[in-house]
Amino acid sequence: FCSSVRQTAAAVPHSYYPRKTMHYQTEQRGHPNSPDYRIYFKTSDGKYISPFHDIPLIAESEQNDDVPAKKPKSENKVLYNMVVEVPRWSNAKMEIATKEPLNPIKQDVKKGKLRYVANIFPHKGYIWNYGALPQTWEDPSHKDKETDCCGDNDPIDVCDIGTQVCSPGQVIQVKVLGILAMIDEGEMDWKVIAINANDEDAEKLNCIEDVRKSRPGHLEATVEWFRKYKVPDGKPENQFGFNGEFKDKDFAVEIIKSTHEHWRALVQKQTNAGGIECKNMSCCNSPFQFSADEARAVVQSVRASKNRLRQQQW
Amino acid sequence: IPLCFVSHRYKRYIFIAHFIENADGKYISPFHDVPIYANEADNIFHAIVEVPRWTNAKMEIATKDPLNPLKQDVKKGNLRYVANVFPHKGYIWNYGAIPQTWEDPGHKDSDTGCCGDNDPIDICDIGNKVCSRGEVIKVKVLGTLALIDEGETDWKVIVINTEDPEAGDFNNIDDVKRLKPGYLEATVDWFRRYKVPDGKPENQFAFNGDFKDRDFAIQTVKSTHEFWKALISKKSNAGELNCMNTSVSDSPFCCSAADAEAVVKSVSSSNFPMSQLKELLSFLP
Repeated sequence: FCSSVRQTAAAVPHSYYPRKTMHYQTEQRGHPNSPDYRIYFKTSDGKYISPFHDIPLIAESEQNDDVPAKKPKSENKVLYNMVVEVPRWSNAKMEIATKEPLNPIKQDVKKGKLRYVANIFPHKGYIWNYGALPQTWEDPSHKDKETDCCGDNDPIDVCDIGTQVCSPGQVIQVKVLGILAMIDEGEMDWKVIAINANDEDAEKLNCIEDVRKSRPGHLEATVEWFRKYKVPDGKPENQFGFNGEFKDKDFAVEIIKSTHEHWRALVQKQTNAGGIECKNMSCCNSPFQFSADEARAVVQSVRASKNRLRQQQW
Repeated sequence: IPLCFVSHRYKRYIFIAHFIENADGKYISPFHDVPIYANEADNIFHAIVEVPRWTNAKMEIATKDPLNPLKQDVKKGNLRYVANVFPHKGYIWNYGAIPQTWEDPGHKDSDTGCCGDNDPIDICDIGNKVCSRGEVIKVKVLGTLALIDEGETDWKVIVINTEDPEAGDFNNIDDVKRLKPGYLEATVDWFRRYKVPDGKPENQFAFNGDFKDRDFAIQTVKSTHEFWKALISKKSNAGELNCMNTSVSDSPFCCSAADAEAVVKSVSSSNFPMSQLKELLSFLP
């Protein structure tokens, strides 16, 4: 996978180490639909990384060293990296394991059982590719002003409305279009609405209103899905801030920035880690930074059933 | 003797093999040899599942091939996949056909004003289980929709798999409205629009898209069974249809188990285009 050639917006604060276009690989351990299944992430030169802490939030381009960046790129052109957890139309609840070293993707387990999301009629599984923005964190000790709810202790969630069905562990670049203020079981759980930059409609979608026009019914279905998706498991309907209305792109970018700041405080140990595994390869001022050898040792110590190693390149 | 049906994948076809106690599996036609009734007195019918719920590959009983195996429809040189018309993913029920039925193209239906589409009558199984391609199930008829697909009569019989744990609660079309709200509306919506992403117009319906009830549906199924009887006894013109069968003993098309076996063995691995399944998503205004 190759991030598209873009310039970073100078206006966006960055704490990450600038790097060239990144290609990511995944390495699977165990078998899908089992509690041992894990998807580990590696750079193209084989170094294990955390998808939570080591993939840059903002997708960067090749820096052309001869030509200095002249002016900040407009916010319209900023692309974010998205770690895909759940492919559209599937049901297995795959997640970044925030409490395991190197934060691989695994299937959520509840009450001793592998978790599968119900089919909420008329929908089949998830109705977008679903995942997370790396280097973000919804801080549980931070109370949101509008909803009076605390963060859910996870990276911020994102729904990719693009046509292509992605795979778990795939890293894509997305354009942010808007955001929904979901309150999931009493915790703040923002849902960023975005589109895969490779989608044929990506160029012409620039705000939430564009989505409403080009994909009639999809935003309404999104609210309804999030409202009801846990009801078959015996949970109540979820609530929303702002009356369940989608906020636009600028608001979304502000929320993303604040969750990025919370994440920065987390890995720099300014915030109580609360069970979160902060080991990372790339955050220079982080007390949690560790070496490539230590990372490799983590992965190799994971007992894979039948020791099958499967690799995939994105 | 209880009948046991097993689907058998052979090259790119799925044949139905009919197993009888203490005998080897014998090849049969799902169109002509699977009995229409599982229980005639109780109006329990057999159905052949062609397309499992939530899948897209357009599998069909190959009515023009000997022994009528299941195969994927090809249009304009491409394997056919039904589009995903938002909010639906693939087919929204297990979809298939009732054996020993035929919508006669030589007969103009008085309700739809259109001639039959030359195929067995179609069913939509609303049961919870996602069935397999080629699975033979027993179904209760609940009602029917009068689709006019590209100008041909194309009844869609709403049924439920008798093995569904809730099957006892479903006896007529109103039960579907009550117990699965939105499902019938989604069904009409699906049939109206499912060909639009392929450039075809929206489909039409007789009776304003209303569902007719169980008794009407059973009468409709039985009338297509009568058309089939005329077909298999050569009273009606088969046209290009292949009526080879192993069980309708007074049919001029009846053949031996050995003949059936020879057909399966001789199937050539013809050049099917291997087009990639594109999981596209269509939003229609």
